[in-house]
Amino acid sequence: MVFGIKIKMPWVNAVFSSNSLRIIMCGIAGILQTNHDQDNQRNNITNMTSTLSHRGPDGWGIYLSRHIALGHTRLSIIDLNSGDQPMMSDRYAISYNGEIYNYRELRLEMESRHGIRFKTTSDTEVVLKSFEVYGPDALKKFNGQFALLLWDRKEKRLLIARDRYGIRPLYILSHQNNYYFASELKAFDTIPDFQRKYNVNNLFDHALLWNTLDNSTVYRNVRSLPAGTFEIYQIDHPTRLSRYYEIGESEGNSPPDIEGAVEKFTALLDDSVKLRLRSDVPVGTYLSGGIDSSIITYLTSQHNKEKFKTFSVSFADKNFDESFFQKEMVTRLNSNHFDLEVDYKAINDNFLEAIYHFERPVFRTAPLPLFLLSQMVEAEGIKVVLTGEGADEILFGYDSFKELKLLEFWSRQPDSTLRPQLIKRLYPHLQHYKDPKRFGLIKMYYEGFLSDYGNELTGLNIRVHNNKSLANYFNKDFHISFNKEKLIEKVKSILPSNFHNWTLLQKNQFLEIKTLLSGYLLSSQGDRMSMAHGVEGRYPFLDHRLVESLFYYQDKFKLNGFKQKYILGKAYKAEIPDSIVNRPKRPYMAPDLISFFSHGKLTEQASYFMSPEKIKDYGIFDSKIISRLVNKFERKIPDEIGYRDNMIFTFVLSCQMANYWTRNPKNNRLNNKLKTTEIADFN
Amino acid sequence: MAEEIQNKLLDFITRSFMVEKEEIDLDKSMIDEGIIDSFGLIEIATFLEDEFQIKITEDKMIRANFGSVTKIVNFIEREQGK
Repeated sequence: MVFGIKIKMPWVNAVFSSNSLRIIMCGIAGILQTNHDQDNQRNNITNMTSTLSHRGPDGWGIYLSRHIALGHTRLSIIDLNSGDQPMMSDRYAISYNGEIYNYRELRLEMESRHGIRFKTTSDTEVVLKSFEVYGPDALKKFNGQFALLLWDRKEKRLLIARDRYGIRPLYILSHQNNYYFASELKAFDTIPDFQRKYNVNNLFDHALLWNTLDNSTVYRNVRSLPAGTFEIYQIDHPTRLSRYYEIGESEGNSPPDIEGAVEKFTALLDDSVKLRLRSDVPVGTYLSGGIDSSIITYLTSQHNKEKFKTFSVSFADKNFDESFFQKEMVTRLNSNHFDLEVDYKAINDNFLEAIYHFERPVFRTAPLPLFLLSQMVEAEGIKVVLTGEGADEILFGYDSFKELKLLEFWSRQPDSTLRPQLIKRLYPHLQHYKDPKRFGLIKMYYEGFLSDYGNELTGLNIRVHNNKSLANYFNKDFHISFNKEKLIEKVKSILPSNFHNWTLLQKNQFLEIKTLLSGYLLSSQGDRMSMAHGVEGRYPFLDHRLVESLFYYQDKFKLNGFKQKYILGKAYKAEIPDSIVNRPKRPYMAPDLISFFSHGKLTEQASYFMSPEKIKDYGIFDSKIISRLVNKFERKIPDEIGYRDNMIFTFVLSCQMANYWTRNPKNNRLNNKLKTTEIADFN
Repeated sequence: MAEEIQNKLLDFITRSFMVEKEEIDLDKSMIDEGIIDSFGLIEIATFLEDEFQIKITEDKMIRANFGSVTKIVNFIEREQGK
């Protein structure tokens, strides 16, 4: 079934079929085979690569050899005239997706210290040569976002690697004695005799934490390479996974006072922005209306002599709209601004196509407007945008940090009537937290966390507690149930050895980066939504020098009392409008469940996927419970819908839709005229 | 009377929070069991006020009154008896 997609934009109102959306970016694929199936190798790698054609309009190529095939689709950002991939040197062949921002410095270092000569001006060649000079230690030298497949032609082994925070994706499938690698899961849909199927236990883990832990995914036999690691594959040898980076590894020191902290922080952030503006194509920024993206946009203006483009989402539903704050910044900087207004219909009409790109269930519709926004960015001729992701994790911006601080303070005097009053300062954007008549109920809720907030889950205790009721929604045949001890054991297995030396808030930061940031915000909401339309997102707050430096700053520089991201406001209060600096933290959100109801009924598309027939057909969920959920809101949409109902509805609907795409993969074709590379290396 | 209150309450809980009646332990905390979150408490309190014509003041918002189905039923009975 193909659904029509309507996109509401200020200047165009067009209808596209799901197969005709023009979508572009950079992707990689690989097949490591033990069966030397040369006959089908070329077809298989080309088919895998074709599913990534939306990730690169500027060219594609393949590399073939006895043991391995590599594929690549390219979006040209640096060295537009060369740098085609896959690229081969005397020693290696590489297929690489990403940017190494310090590639110029690395190049200079290799030229001057090691006598290396370069044939192109591309960053890809710098990556290749870095491995020749430094081996896997090259990864520690990279400042950037990347996923790569590096074939050692001499030793006949494959090294795969991913950046420190998982900005760029890389998935691995083990199937019929071969290994398959790809930027996106849909590449595996082309593999003969393979169909993606949910691992329902992992799906529940994903529901609990908004990500599966470590290297598992929601699909059977499919792994994700963990951020900050590399893995080596060699025929007839066991696979070896090694970690080249872990959060908090630097064990640095905090500046003693806030003035010193501000000085160091601003220098690092400024340099991070400067590096991320390196591009042979124009760079824009996203402006959400919050302080993070406002600062990134301000710093961009300091390094950009010309007027540049800024992009924002606004909402027809004013409960979600932040355009007042966006305009404050636009007026301050006089940027060339573009706004995309999104309404319920746009969310509903585009959700299925967006899920094709998410590839996994989501919990809120917030990624959807970003999917549409990247289409606008692409239409405006911009291939790269800087955004503010990462700031909430590294600067204690989430309310989960405040919750933990409150619980720690309250638990010292659990009978205090004064201490729990701080609850009123949590979640300022949620009505029921602000209502003094409801305070007693919220206090009752938080009392339950006083005894175990300090376990290994830290701030995730509350998220997990809220989400565990999803177990009831699954098909009873799966016997899904929540086991806290088992979850804690899983979490313990990913904790570094110095975890227990950290403060409670540092521990929470680590877990937020490992779960929400890496597996959801950078993945479904970040990479997938921008790459769907050929836009590369860059994240200055995720420069590892900055992350590591800030990790060891005193907690009070980041959360001062209940003032979140304290150092950010302190550092930039002169440059950013007061209305933005002083506004209470408000997460970026979009209308969720309400987008899928029209005149008291589910929309056609949502009705199809949430119908008892379709629920039974896919077999993941309990059809009686899902019908009850739908009926709850078909009876009446209340003025306020709770987090849990919004989350569960979106999760179930997106699960169903993601499953639809595994059963109905698109038929993609590469444009042969854009083929830049075919290397046959059978020596 | 208590039985009628309990039945109405259980009907509300099953249709609002996607649990089956047999899954609800009448004496265990629905908060701790994860059946309801903070917003769920608001939904229950609003239902109780509307359905049983009682007023729930802040001093009454304690686990002794809301900690389980049994406690809620007892609380409503006491309030209605006033």
